[in-house]
Amino acid sequence: MRKLLYVISILIVASMLFTACSPAVQEEVEEAAEEIAEEVVEEVEEPEEVEEPSGDVVEIRWFVGLGAGSDAGTFEAQQAVVDGFNATHDDIELILEIVDNEVAYDTLATQIAAGNAPDIVGPVGVRGRDTFYGAWLDLQPLIESTGYDLSDFDPALVDFYNIEGQGQLGIPFASYPSFMIFNKDLFDEAGAAYPPAAYGEPYVWADGTEAEWNMDTLKELSMFMTVDASGNDATMEEFDPANIVQFGFQNQWTDPRGIGTFFGAGSFLEDDGVTAQIPEEWQAAWKWTYDGWWTDWFIPNGPYGGAEFLQHGGGPFGSGNLAMVHIHTWYAAPWALDGSFVFDFAATPSYNGTVTSKMHADTFGIPKGTDNPEEAFTVLAYLLSPEIAPQLLTIYGAQPARLSLQEGYLDTYSETNFPGMDLNWDVVVASTAYADNPNHEAWMPSFLETTDRYNEFWNYLANTPDLDVDAEIEALREDLQGIFDAYFEANP
Amino acid sequence: MTVAEFGKAVKNLKGKRTPLTIKQKREARWGFFFLSPWMIGFLLFYLLPMIASFAFSLTKFNPAVPDETVYIGFTNWIRAIFRDKEVLLSFTRTIHFAAISLPVGLIFALFLAILLNSENVIGKTIYRTLFYMPSMIPLVATVLIWNGVLNEHTGWINILIERFTGIQATGTDGIRWLADPQLVYYAYTMFGLWGVGNAMIIFLAAVQGVPTELYEAAEIDGASWFRRLFSITLPLITPVIFYQLVLGVIGSLQYFLAPFVLNQGTGFPEGKTRFYMVYFYKQSFSFFNMGYGATLAWLMFIVALIITIFLFGTAKYWVYYATEEK
Repeated sequence: MRKLLYVISILIVASMLFTACSPAVQEEVEEAAEEIAEEVVEEVEEPEEVEEPSGDVVEIRWFVGLGAGSDAGTFEAQQAVVDGFNATHDDIELILEIVDNEVAYDTLATQIAAGNAPDIVGPVGVRGRDTFYGAWLDLQPLIESTGYDLSDFDPALVDFYNIEGQGQLGIPFASYPSFMIFNKDLFDEAGAAYPPAAYGEPYVWADGTEAEWNMDTLKELSMFMTVDASGNDATMEEFDPANIVQFGFQNQWTDPRGIGTFFGAGSFLEDDGVTAQIPEEWQAAWKWTYDGWWTDWFIPNGPYGGAEFLQHGGGPFGSGNLAMVHIHTWYAAPWALDGSFVFDFAATPSYNGTVTSKMHADTFGIPKGTDNPEEAFTVLAYLLSPEIAPQLLTIYGAQPARLSLQEGYLDTYSETNFPGMDLNWDVVVASTAYADNPNHEAWMPSFLETTDRYNEFWNYLANTPDLDVDAEIEALREDLQGIFDAYFEANP
Repeated sequence: MTVAEFGKAVKNLKGKRTPLTIKQKREARWGFFFLSPWMIGFLLFYLLPMIASFAFSLTKFNPAVPDETVYIGFTNWIRAIFRDKEVLLSFTRTIHFAAISLPVGLIFALFLAILLNSENVIGKTIYRTLFYMPSMIPLVATVLIWNGVLNEHTGWINILIERFTGIQATGTDGIRWLADPQLVYYAYTMFGLWGVGNAMIIFLAAVQGVPTELYEAAEIDGASWFRRLFSITLPLITPVIFYQLVLGVIGSLQYFLAPFVLNQGTGFPEGKTRFYMVYFYKQSFSFFNMGYGATLAWLMFIVALIITIFLFGTAKYWVYYATEEK
């Protein structure tokens, strides 16, 4: 009897554990993620019935969710593109699958693993692409066999998607340069001059003195724009850091690589491709940020992250209580900047005389697992075509990669999304010239594990004052080296 | 049953079996027929996945590139047991948290059960319902609600502490329940207390099952309330305590949802909430190291099995079964 009891116990324990260690956890997690995002994985309405085509129809599934395109406001417009395609193609039926960004990565991985990969994925940025390193089809044979015309794209941008050992993984679709956005209302209230509207211009202080628009000036200006409940700014001795009601600056919605790149492009990998490093510019950027959190007080630190006065759908800057932000074009959209204050765009400051404007770039990829690569490429070509791409670009808030679409595009975009506002789009276009190389989202060994580690490091810094930042940086480098070593051991 | 029949039955159990009669065979067939749904379910949904999981643990399997799956022998096992320090760290965190949350959860549930069994409480049905109701709220919602309640800026717990004690509890210098490594396990334990409804109901049933004549006899002998609790109630409900303990230990080892909902499994603060199952999830579903994830699942299974067997081993020393022959 006792033995039977043991056997039953073992079976029960095994059952419970493997229930937890099985896709049920995945479901639980997805449920959790959905609740957090308050958006269930969206089932997009089936397209309206189109005329029944003759012959075999190939179904092509278009997966959206790794980048832009999973916000509810974009569904209808994307479905219109799909309907337009289906109305003009008898041999292919395009099916749109929009998955919430919170669960899109897991969903796509599960689909690929189950042999149920979608046929086309996008828009997808560098991060999304490299998360699925090795899973993308080399488009070069399809480009050659179909005679696809690449002359309307910047060759350097085309080459951006040509990955050694993997091939041409995408064709340029959209780019999102980064730049400064500032709250004009707060500057007017403080009586401060606006940040420079063009690269190369100095910052002019209220008393007329000029200063180079660099990180030191940005810090000084940001401290001046940081205000406590008594109206003191962060340059004053009476300033109370425990009761800040307005901050000066933030590198919003980016990670340590993005923040490091604010000071200069770099990589966690040395040129030998196996050694972990923390570029000097990144170390400087991180220390500058750490001081901004804990001693100069002009950047919201971890504890202030939950403060009510910074909560908004558009993040701290959208709340109207942050004077300046460095961010990408995808943020310049009504969902983030809802018109509750007046804003404008400005130049990215320099570090050691060099300006670096980190770049996001999107494309569409075709997973290796597709059964219909030719048809998928037909869809890809359709989405990138000069006729259709502008529709999608407007939806996603992106700048076109096609040279022929660039002129006048931002004017139209501005009039559509911010009617009546006189915005400095010239500086946005000019920012493209300062794109980071290597890109701050570029591939690293054990991409996701490495990302997880440096984000943990960053959270620790953001929430812990009085740290020896140099020691923490060295600890991070050692950990990254451990992760890289494990990767190269498994992938010699 | 006569002594001779009993002896025959024992002989049947220990030695050769006498052939079954036609009726017995028919009954056995029907028995297996009725058991078959569970058996098929177990084979398909538990045993096969377990075997597959073990097979995966011997491979390098990334679901994003399934074509590149390769057999690597026990490399994953060696990494998990000898090289990956995070395995031991995450397991230690899990045990640390369980050591706080499990006793608190069990004692609180038992306390409520005893309270609701008291003759002196008016409106017991209402209280029973009220205490059980939070268990019906999905855990994700519970966690999000508590996230708000414990918010250092706007949470009412900090506001109340500040108002009644004068201690600065709100704001950036306030009590950061979910961000302070010293406090976070206690905060998570508080979430868990909301879900004690099920345990409370089971304890209540056990407490109500204790023969009242024992209490009456004890009262006549002058036993105090505490004496009756420790000498009658607790010993008689030890089977239920044991049951709750085993389930609680297994549940604690699987602790996952709260840290995942609150910080997406980043381990914040300072890695304190990267429990074993969170780490397992990250490896399997975030880093796509499915083979390594399967290894971690198997390791946890083995550890949980050892703990469970250990608990069963201790049961004979402290669990009292009234019907058991000594």
